[in-house]
Amino acid sequence: MEVSNTSSKGKLIASGVIPFAFLIILIAYIFGPGSELLDLGIPLPEITMEKVDFLDSEIQVTVRNTGPISVEIAMADVNDRIQPAAVEPDRYLERYETALVRIPFEWNDAEPYIVGITIEDGTRFEKEIEAAAPALEPSFELLGFFAIIGTYVGIIPVMIGLLWLPFIKRISKQKYHFFLALTAGLLLFLAIDSVEEALDVSNESLAGSFNGVLLVATVLILSFLGLYYTGEKLVSRAKSSRITKPVAIALMISIGIGLHNFGEGLAIGAAVGLGSIAFSTFLIIGFALHNTTEGLAIAAPMSREKKVIGKLAAMGLIAGAPAIFGAWIGGFVYSPFTSVVFLSIGAGAIFQVIITILKWIREQGDKNLSSAAVASGFAIGMVIMYLTSILV
Amino acid sequence: MILAITILIGISVIMIFPIGSQAQTEENIFVTHSGAVVKTTGEVLDPLYTSATVEFDPMEYLRDFNYGRISQLEDGTVLREYTIIANDDEIMEVSPGIFYNVWTFNGTVPGPTIRATEGDIVRVKFINNGEKEHTIHFHGIHPAGMDGVFEPVGGNGGQFVYEFEAGPVGVHPYHCHVMPLEEHIVHGLYGVFIVDPKEERPPADEMVMVLNGLDTDFDTENNFYAANTIPFYYQHHPIQINTNELIRIYVVNMVEFDPINNFHLHGNLYKYYPTGTDIVPSFYTDMITLSQTERGIMEFEYQYPGKYLFHAHKVEFSEKGWVGIFMVNENKEGTEDVKYGS
Repeated sequence: MEVSNTSSKGKLIASGVIPFAFLIILIAYIFGPGSELLDLGIPLPEITMEKVDFLDSEIQVTVRNTGPISVEIAMADVNDRIQPAAVEPDRYLERYETALVRIPFEWNDAEPYIVGITIEDGTRFEKEIEAAAPALEPSFELLGFFAIIGTYVGIIPVMIGLLWLPFIKRISKQKYHFFLALTAGLLLFLAIDSVEEALDVSNESLAGSFNGVLLVATVLILSFLGLYYTGEKLVSRAKSSRITKPVAIALMISIGIGLHNFGEGLAIGAAVGLGSIAFSTFLIIGFALHNTTEGLAIAAPMSREKKVIGKLAAMGLIAGAPAIFGAWIGGFVYSPFTSVVFLSIGAGAIFQVIITILKWIREQGDKNLSSAAVASGFAIGMVIMYLTSILV
Repeated sequence: MILAITILIGISVIMIFPIGSQAQTEENIFVTHSGAVVKTTGEVLDPLYTSATVEFDPMEYLRDFNYGRISQLEDGTVLREYTIIANDDEIMEVSPGIFYNVWTFNGTVPGPTIRATEGDIVRVKFINNGEKEHTIHFHGIHPAGMDGVFEPVGGNGGQFVYEFEAGPVGVHPYHCHVMPLEEHIVHGLYGVFIVDPKEERPPADEMVMVLNGLDTDFDTENNFYAANTIPFYYQHHPIQINTNELIRIYVVNMVEFDPINNFHLHGNLYKYYPTGTDIVPSFYTDMITLSQTERGIMEFEYQYPGKYLFHAHKVEFSEKGWVGIFMVNENKEGTEDVKYGS
């Protein structure tokens, strides 16, 4: 018995490994040395100017090699006029490596500039800046400024939204479902908004080699799956612990909204960082209005609980405070890649929350999602968000 | 709660202030156009002030005239024989750090400046060592079969002999005339053909300047402009001339894509002979404008020593390389006695 058992185990391993070995041979045959099967043409160099900072008498460009081959930076120009410049740490860029090109230049406030970088084969890449504005230098003063903005945009509106709790508590089950569906509608809008924003950023500033759309899709689905899994765990554990199911759901909503607010903070920080004062003001007003409805989204599932003030306050912070961190990061260390990733995570988190809310309504409401309350709640949620979004 | 906030703040601070770059030992210093001094731990990207490592020497090209192999025909006419070899596979460093596929006559862009006297027989043995078809089309007067248009010369050793009488007097371009023409010209297949009058021009410090551009990224716009190919070269290596000495420049505009080019001289004016066909100057100016393959001869003398700029007053071109300096030195030979011409 024992012998045959071992041999059957061996067979099992062999039957798993043999196809794998064939696969390796196949790949070696196609891509291996001496293989002439695939001629993929001449790889073209590509660089991306991720960031352009305007400092005192100097323009600084962060350049990343986003092509398939290494490149050498040979020359810099401003508005198509060749300028002496320095490149740190050196001009040789391996794949995905970055360098800082420092161009001494007496630039003028609020004027548009096109910065160009030419590489060793004579190819010139350019990036247009709509209005030059001094780069933000990290300081405690600015840190405080962004913290206040983040508080106004994130924490306070969410807390205001939470004040709807007593109202929701007194309403009927039907109306309660309406508000839960409303929450889902609000969130769905936010999720779509996040995806759109992520795609915009990836279109404008992310190198083609990052495959922006696929990056958004991948990160979104991974964050959705990850949160869905942990969320289910949290809910199933809620049955046997002090955390109740509504609290668990509200917590997940807070986390989802927190990630979204982080993205909003990034947007505000980046707008301030880029010197677009009008745009950042609009963002601040719009997000603040938007975010009161987020407080409602958190309050709704908690409304059937008792002694919730402390928990709600904590959740308000979880949902709102990331706006502060987002503003800091957006203002000081903005990078299109991290921005796209955070926005996609936010969208995934929100989709997960929507699924959870819908499941919960279905469980509570006689296994029915097609009631008038749910449908109208969902629709009104979307419309409210659309209307507030016009203000942004 | 407090703990969580502390951790969040900690992480944020780390993200906001990224770790400083590795320690650098060397520090470079460079000076900008406006004289600002910049220190950097990295490398300097500087087409102006670093020594050019380019293979083609614009200074040598400036005063290099090829008079050909001279013999006499039976009737006493002077025969000048030249050999011009075309190539199209050379990669040249055209500006520090920038490598471009130049198409060349005799290995350089522009090709050799060939020179004959009016009435001489010019015989050019053309060998095409490139991969594509090429020709030489000379501006000037010659029979139809010598025009370099309908007689394409095959690559990899194809040959043709152009023969005609030199004329008219002046400065003329020659260039490849194979379609697509723009491509063949902008890659560098051109040069200058000077026809001297039988009665020589007054002695002078003579030079040739081919105003050209390079489209290194093939977007039908020039990335560089220059006098004699290498951007900023004569700014970094000023052309040495003397006070009270006649300077004669044969200027040929070979810029493609842009409708005009021009030539502005600082601290002085020049006599200008369009196409060089007249012996009497047409203008006395410090600024002429040239369309494609327009050319002429400029003559001037500097009275005061020092540094003088010359450049395209189409400032875009000068800021992309078409700019240079004359370093005018005190003439020690007592020029009072020297008489030019008659």
